[in-house]
Amino acid sequence: MLKTLVNALKTGNATTKYPAAPIDLPYGYRGKPEHNEKQCIACGACACACPPNAIQMTADEGAGTVTWNIHYGRCIFCGRCEEVCPFSAIKLGNEFELAVMAATDLDESSTYTLEPCAVCGKLFAPRKQIAYAEELLKNDSGITGEELDTALARLRVCPTCKRTLDAHTAQATSRVEGGR
Amino acid sequence: MHTALEQVPERLQALPTKVELDEKVQKAKGALLNDIKRSVYLYRVDCGGCNACEIEIFATITPVFDAERFGIKNTPSPRHADILVYTGAVTRAMRLPAMRAYEAAPNPKLVVSYGACGCSGGIFHDNYCVWGGTDQILPVDVYIPGCPPSPAQTIYGFAMALGMLGQKLHHKETVEAPGELATLAYADIPYALRTEIEHEARLMSGYLQGRDLADDFLKAISSSQGSVLASVDGLIAGTDDPRRAEVYNDFKELLLGKVIG
Repeated sequence: MLKTLVNALKTGNATTKYPAAPIDLPYGYRGKPEHNEKQCIACGACACACPPNAIQMTADEGAGTVTWNIHYGRCIFCGRCEEVCPFSAIKLGNEFELAVMAATDLDESSTYTLEPCAVCGKLFAPRKQIAYAEELLKNDSGITGEELDTALARLRVCPTCKRTLDAHTAQATSRVEGGR
Repeated sequence: MHTALEQVPERLQALPTKVELDEKVQKAKGALLNDIKRSVYLYRVDCGGCNACEIEIFATITPVFDAERFGIKNTPSPRHADILVYTGAVTRAMRLPAMRAYEAAPNPKLVVSYGACGCSGGIFHDNYCVWGGTDQILPVDVYIPGCPPSPAQTIYGFAMALGMLGQKLHHKETVEAPGELATLAYADIPYALRTEIEHEARLMSGYLQGRDLADDFLKAISSSQGSVLASVDGLIAGTDDPRRAEVYNDFKELLLGKVIG
């Protein structure tokens, strides 16, 4: 009996102080995915990677926007979004107190504008994504002069129009070469 | 005029009608919250979960997290319960047991949706036999997301259900500001080198530690005054962990490959 008491005193209290005191979280704890909407270029990589489709992107052609949306109630905290994000705009933080009273509180969304294609005028890519590609081409690609101008012009053309343009170029080339 | 797509039913099974609470029960619920603060009996209903949530609930009642210090006690029968905890995505087969447990618990009672599956169907949300969340059939008072929720998350959720702690997460909608641009980290380092180091970091240490290592290395390059190599050597020499130093040395080799002359 005495031995047990001594042991109990030696061991002390094993119960955590939480919620009176904050709980220790290990390195790499996967808590709430924190979305930095200013860093996000709305590329949709996270929406493609998300296994339970907690992150979804919806385009609204009427308003010319694309909306990034996360439902924390569906998130499985796997960290795939963090893994694929090219801008580290989404990171799994230490926040774990996510319980809510209403399901709508589990939703978070950010809206981004879409840019139209220079040829057909249809909306095709987020403005921030194009701005990023433009910045890379101008400063980091190593191409200059006329080549750069062509690349910058092609940046604002949607994939469908690009294919059509390529087909026309190929046709014109083959005509010049004698219609092989 | 209907298109062919509109004629396809959205779901192939019938959805059950959701239980609605009358005013009297709603009112009694408020009184319940005031009265049971320190003595809450809890019954756990598994509606087709993977049992990870159950393991976490039982971790919550172990001495380490000890939910019983708040008076929360797990009961073996819904007839004793004040709180019903629904785990799992509510499958077609488990719908009736879920309803029976709800009907067996005396009014007023609280319903807690536990885990990602309970909140919205989770990763199984588009499965053919899944109704997708407790709130499809029952009026839910508290949602505890997580896959599974950790014991600390669970305690927070229950404390919130009993009005001991406040809600932290709120609905948020943001719209992009005009002319807003994403800022590129380490824009002064050439793109090719930056991406090569980040790629190597991922290969060597995965996305989490890899990103930290690449960040430290790129910071050393970008903050170097004068010699880049001296700054990088300083970083490697200052690392205690030989595994980190090994990865840094790998980055350094990549860097040396890019140096001209």
